[in-house]
Amino acid sequence: MEESVVESGSGGMPTVKELGWAAGLAVAAGCSAGGEDDVPEAAWWIQAGPGTDLPADEMDAARFLEAATFGVTADDMTGLQYAGFNAYLDHQRRVAPSLQRPALEAREAAGESIYQNQRQELWWRNAVRGEDQLRQRMAFALSEIFVVSDRSGALQNFAIGLAEYYDVLTRGALGSFRDLMSAVARSPIMGNYLSHLRNQKGDPVNHIRPDENFARELMQLFCIGLIELEPDGTPRLDGDGAEIPTYSQTDIEELSRVMTGWTYAGSANFKWGARDMIRPMEAWPDFHDDQAKTLLGGAVLPAGLTPEEDLEAALDVLFQHANVGPFIAFRLIQRIVTSTPAAGYVQRVAAVFADDGTGQRGNLEAVVRAILLDDEARTGHLTSPTTFGKLREPLVRMAGIWRTFGGAAASGHFRYWNPQNDFGQAALRSGSVFNFFYPTFEPPGLLQGAGLFGPEFQITTHTVITLTANEYYDRIYRAYPGFGNANEHTVTLRLDAELALADDPEALVDHLGLYLMAGQMSDDMRTALVAHVSAVAMDAGNKPDGMQRVLDTIYLIVTSPEGALQL
Amino acid sequence: MKDRPISAPTRRDFLRWAAGGAASTTAFSALSSGPLFAAAAQGGGGYKALVVLYLAGGNDSFNLIVPTDSSAYNEYATSRQNLAVPLNDLLDIAPATSDGHTYGLHPAVPELRDLFDAGRLAISVNTGNLVRPVTRAEYQASSVALPPRLFSHNDQQAQSMRVRADDGGAIGWGGALADHQAYLNGVTSLSPSITVAGSTPMLTGAATQAYHLGTSGSVSLGGFNGNTGAAIQATFDALRGQGHTNLYQRQFAQTRAEAIELDGVISAALGAQTTLQTEFPAESKVSPQLKMVAKMIQAQATLGMERQVFFVRMGGFDTHAGQLEDQPVLYADISASVAAFQAAMAELLMENQVTLAVVSEFGRTLSSNGQGTDHGWGGHFLAVGGAVAGGDLYGTMPSFALEGADDAGSGRMIPSQGTDQFAATLARWFGVPDIELAVMFPNLGNFATNHLGFMG
Repeated sequence: MEESVVESGSGGMPTVKELGWAAGLAVAAGCSAGGEDDVPEAAWWIQAGPGTDLPADEMDAARFLEAATFGVTADDMTGLQYAGFNAYLDHQRRVAPSLQRPALEAREAAGESIYQNQRQELWWRNAVRGEDQLRQRMAFALSEIFVVSDRSGALQNFAIGLAEYYDVLTRGALGSFRDLMSAVARSPIMGNYLSHLRNQKGDPVNHIRPDENFARELMQLFCIGLIELEPDGTPRLDGDGAEIPTYSQTDIEELSRVMTGWTYAGSANFKWGARDMIRPMEAWPDFHDDQAKTLLGGAVLPAGLTPEEDLEAALDVLFQHANVGPFIAFRLIQRIVTSTPAAGYVQRVAAVFADDGTGQRGNLEAVVRAILLDDEARTGHLTSPTTFGKLREPLVRMAGIWRTFGGAAASGHFRYWNPQNDFGQAALRSGSVFNFFYPTFEPPGLLQGAGLFGPEFQITTHTVITLTANEYYDRIYRAYPGFGNANEHTVTLRLDAELALADDPEALVDHLGLYLMAGQMSDDMRTALVAHVSAVAMDAGNKPDGMQRVLDTIYLIVTSPEGALQL
Repeated sequence: MKDRPISAPTRRDFLRWAAGGAASTTAFSALSSGPLFAAAAQGGGGYKALVVLYLAGGNDSFNLIVPTDSSAYNEYATSRQNLAVPLNDLLDIAPATSDGHTYGLHPAVPELRDLFDAGRLAISVNTGNLVRPVTRAEYQASSVALPPRLFSHNDQQAQSMRVRADDGGAIGWGGALADHQAYLNGVTSLSPSITVAGSTPMLTGAATQAYHLGTSGSVSLGGFNGNTGAAIQATFDALRGQGHTNLYQRQFAQTRAEAIELDGVISAALGAQTTLQTEFPAESKVSPQLKMVAKMIQAQATLGMERQVFFVRMGGFDTHAGQLEDQPVLYADISASVAAFQAAMAELLMENQVTLAVVSEFGRTLSSNGQGTDHGWGGHFLAVGGAVAGGDLYGTMPSFALEGADDAGSGRMIPSQGTDQFAATLARWFGVPDIELAVMFPNLGNFATNHLGFMG
């Protein structure tokens, strides 16, 4: 296997031969070329040692990385093929989280005014460059479940608060789902977005009731859903063959009474005063309904509990609901691997949610491991070639282009502030708590006719599909090394490895096919691309030698129907 | 999770509605004699467009139309508490037929009041998703069929957009109308149904699917210039035209093909029109969409369109908190934007041929949560245009008493008429014969009338 390691250098990243491998060997051998400070830490895969659960081939490795990261890099290919899947995942669990808030606060401290624009820059930075790729990919998936949005008038001016919310998801992305439920429920950002912040106990004399917003969406969208599920995620049916609602309107009203008494941390008054958008909300017992409540399934919260006790007890009830495993498994599988998972796939992941093997429920690190290593994830493209896969989210694809080709701007920032205008999505910028798209969206036409989900198609409108291609065009053809009209914000791609292959059309197409579509290119597409590249002169387009060939191949892959799919 | 027959169009749906066009998404070749004959018999012919303005989030329309006689107002104010619109602020209206009460409109909608006074705006009272009529006793006893998953945003949205409220397939009523009347547009690549607000269940038909347009019009594929452009474009086209086996790839390739083909058609047609003189409000969430629709209506002859269904959407109506601040802003926007759209139709001499319907997934609780309202059920819908029998309320105003005759709980009003009836009223005007209404809306027979009368 070590041979394949040496062969697989690529992309803009230094190859293993240049850096990791040599450094690893040097450290392993206890000798160094320069002073001790110059010795880079051994690459993770060297520290891990040769693995036994290796990808079947480089396409298998690239497919795994397309799911586990924002984009395939040479280093990750090298490490994965040397140390194996589990060592890769173990490494990812240990890597420190890449966060947004500290960087924004540092820029604010340096005198910069912070808006949502800079928050988007940090999202790109972490997605593209964060070493904690699995955590970043999970955090993004979770941000599409525990949705908040800066399009809310209550949140639009609180970029650092939203960054902290995203950091909460990032820190918790490989932790306990139950802990995440608490953190989200107590977040002042969520408290604003779904209006349980400053929500107070009812006033029956004046017909004032507690706000039902968070209580409803917490159940419907964040953990159990509307109908009872079998362990494999299919609807559970009653004796008449009808679906069974998970909760009633009365259950919502009871839960809304739990969600009373919370306001901003450190606030001098429950109803007004300074708005701390960072620290978790704090409870004021006088504004909390402390009478007994009966939640869904008949669980009783006795009278006299504190707001904190009430909240945690209610979250425990929801967390233990049998739906949570299949509900979350289905959604995470869709974000990471495939749009219409087989029932058995959902069931296997849900089982890990229920028990990670040590008796722990809701261990997200174990859940994502199960999602990535499941047989369906590894071989679904072979066993169900017509129905497997997912349309890539354009945000993920764009970050992937930059990641694979080491994109960087002279300014040091990824100044792409409003991707929603081109892609129909941007981090924490959904039109509603229902995310950019519904998990059960069936695109009218072929997919609906076949009963297949295609959430990402909901934003792939006739307008957006063209805007997205145009954006890719600009980010590729106006961002190559030596592009004359580049400015300090141009995110320039590093294309050395590709240029080295430009005079060999087949090698170039195969190389980019591996890095941009995990080698899942049909023979027809490969033939057409090789013919195209062969017909483009090496000095075409008044660009550096071979550049036109490289750019054309990248653009044509990412805009093609085959390249649009994560297979 | 694959086995979910409920939301896919059934074969029966398909056969029923495929009559109006071929089975492909945007191509229409088959001219069916059935609907052609029926429409001709009803005086069809001449351009018609239905524009659906969807108020997403659940519009608290019990503050849009408010009773002003003292007993009814007091009942309203008692239920609404801090959310009640002050009596003296309301804009008086004089409905053509009296139900014994007097009414006023929210102070932020003077343009809608003018349209009402001019007989161009009708109010469909306390309308909502129903499988059949329901009384409070029946609701409490769960003794009759109810729409599934009441009070849930996405479910109630889908139901309000579909031809039935009981999980009976994916066909939206906009899509059904487009299917039915598409034959009038002859052979064209442009779908009769167009959304300016992204994907929507409203425009899912059996034979027709929505074309998506942006508020700036169609988008053209960029790049492909210089002496390398032609070769890139040729390979781009070759790749998208290859025979894909994976259904996701095929769906993507189809959307890509439609986008490119229709951009050519629409860009040319819009470019051939004179500039609309009507001014739309500058600071508006929804005017850019309505203005785009107006431009498309202006281009209908160039595009060869005889029947069109447009979908526009305005969000922000989920006023759990901040309702007192937000609702006037939302209403002012609707009012000014709808008035501008009507003015544009007048400018185009299309007033009598275009009807705008204002719909939402549900009304909201009469009772307050202190900061706003929660998800309700029935609410008022609007119909606006020259063909509308306006200046009147259609339907029975509910009791505004909490725990009153129409209250499902906390002031969630049980609708007194169904969304199906509202849609069927528009369908009749659009050209669907009476005899076919109950086929298009399978639950329509459960109601006392198959239309509400506001289209004459």
